Amino acid sequence: MPQSKEVLNLAVSMGEELLKNGGEIYRVQETVCRVMEAYDVWDYNVFVVTNGIFATVHEERADAGSMVRYIPLGEINLEKIAKINQLSREICQGHCSLREANKRLKACRQGAGVKDVTLIFACGIESAGFCFLLGGHFIDSVFSFLLGMLLQTFLLMGTKRNVSKFILNILGSAMVTAGSLVLYRLVQDILYDRIIIGGIIVLMPGVALVTGIRDLFNGDYLSGGIRMMDALLTGICIAAGVGAAVKIFQLLGGGALPL
Amino acid sequence: MIIQVLVAVISTLAFAVLFHVPRQEYLYCAINGGLGWVVYKLCLYYGFGGVVSCLWATLTLTLVARILSALRKMPSTVFLLAGIFTLVPGSGVYYTAYYLIMNELSRSTAKGIETFKIAGAIVFGIIFGLALPQSWFNRLGRLTDRKKPSAAKKPCGKT
Repeated sequence: MPQSKEVLNLAVSMGEELLKNGGEIYRVQETVCRVMEAYDVWDYNVFVVTNGIFATVHEERADAGSMVRYIPLGEINLEKIAKINQLSREICQGHCSLREANKRLKACRQGAGVKDVTLIFACGIESAGFCFLLGGHFIDSVFSFLLGMLLQTFLLMGTKRNVSKFILNILGSAMVTAGSLVLYRLVQDILYDRIIIGGIIVLMPGVALVTGIRDLFNGDYLSGGIRMMDALLTGICIAAGVGAAVKIFQLLGGGALPL
Repeated sequence: MIIQVLVAVISTLAFAVLFHVPRQEYLYCAINGGLGWVVYKLCLYYGFGGVVSCLWATLTLTLVARILSALRKMPSTVFLLAGIFTLVPGSGVYYTAYYLIMNELSRSTAKGIETFKIAGAIVFGIIFGLALPQSWFNRLGRLTDRKKPSAAKKPCGKT
């Protein structure tokens, strides 16, 4: 394989890893460009959108190469972004041979990450925290903690079976709402709305919102638009899940819910 | 108030875990989240509305995230994403859906518009925070470089 192709492969693979784990468009674009330049490839073109990278090198020479990657929106993993960023810094300074860079990229891809149990526990803590911040009492936070753990377990299971994100959002928020309403029937003396809000905050499209804004204001309108649409749709899905659960609860004879 | 801030810090920490933030940055993320909540609460206390308070809190969060990113040589997203979640209008989405189901359309609309306003405030907070030129933050990063001779010579300018 000619050198230019290897460089292209490395650069686009790094970009792919960044994009898959929730990097912004300008970061991906800049990383790909810098890596190419660091390995002395100057005649290149890169175009990045939220779910794809297109790149060509040396279009007018014999060792021309091009690459297209489709990248579905994935789970946020900031550790990988930080690692790739570090790798690209070192490549820029010329500390890293092509082979070594490939090896490190591979290692970064296979990084172990956080255990599922930790994730579930963190989700519980975070639900409880939000429930408390929104004015819930201690007992509400405890229930929120349990529901948050349940939700994260459900999300992890769903993600492993490749269930669509929208279905997960609808079912997840419906599950939290139903759980909270059942608890409300059983215990009576709880602020069920705070518990629901604490529970569904994990599903909220905060990341899509923030990344979308950054993309939009860097001039990547298409990518920013994709992310903002994602944020909006996710919000609507959550609302639909909550609404459906409340409605079903009412129809089953739960009666009007006091606020 | 102190308990509230502590809870905000812990929640942000939990979010940092959920987003797989590198371990050595957990503490900074959590501090940033706590700071955002303090600003939000202070603004509310001094009589700003919910939306304006959100704007100031997001602005603070973004600036602190950029400073931290220069100091710690990390992408600023690492510090921003987890911190911002304390301000995301989760209750707005819930009440909008709830009132809609209860057929209280005017209250539902009011809540829906409020949710969009808060989202807009977060948007503008981030934009203003990002508007400051990167070179200022790079200078900050270079200050710390001098103490550690092994650190980067040429900052790549990515935040």
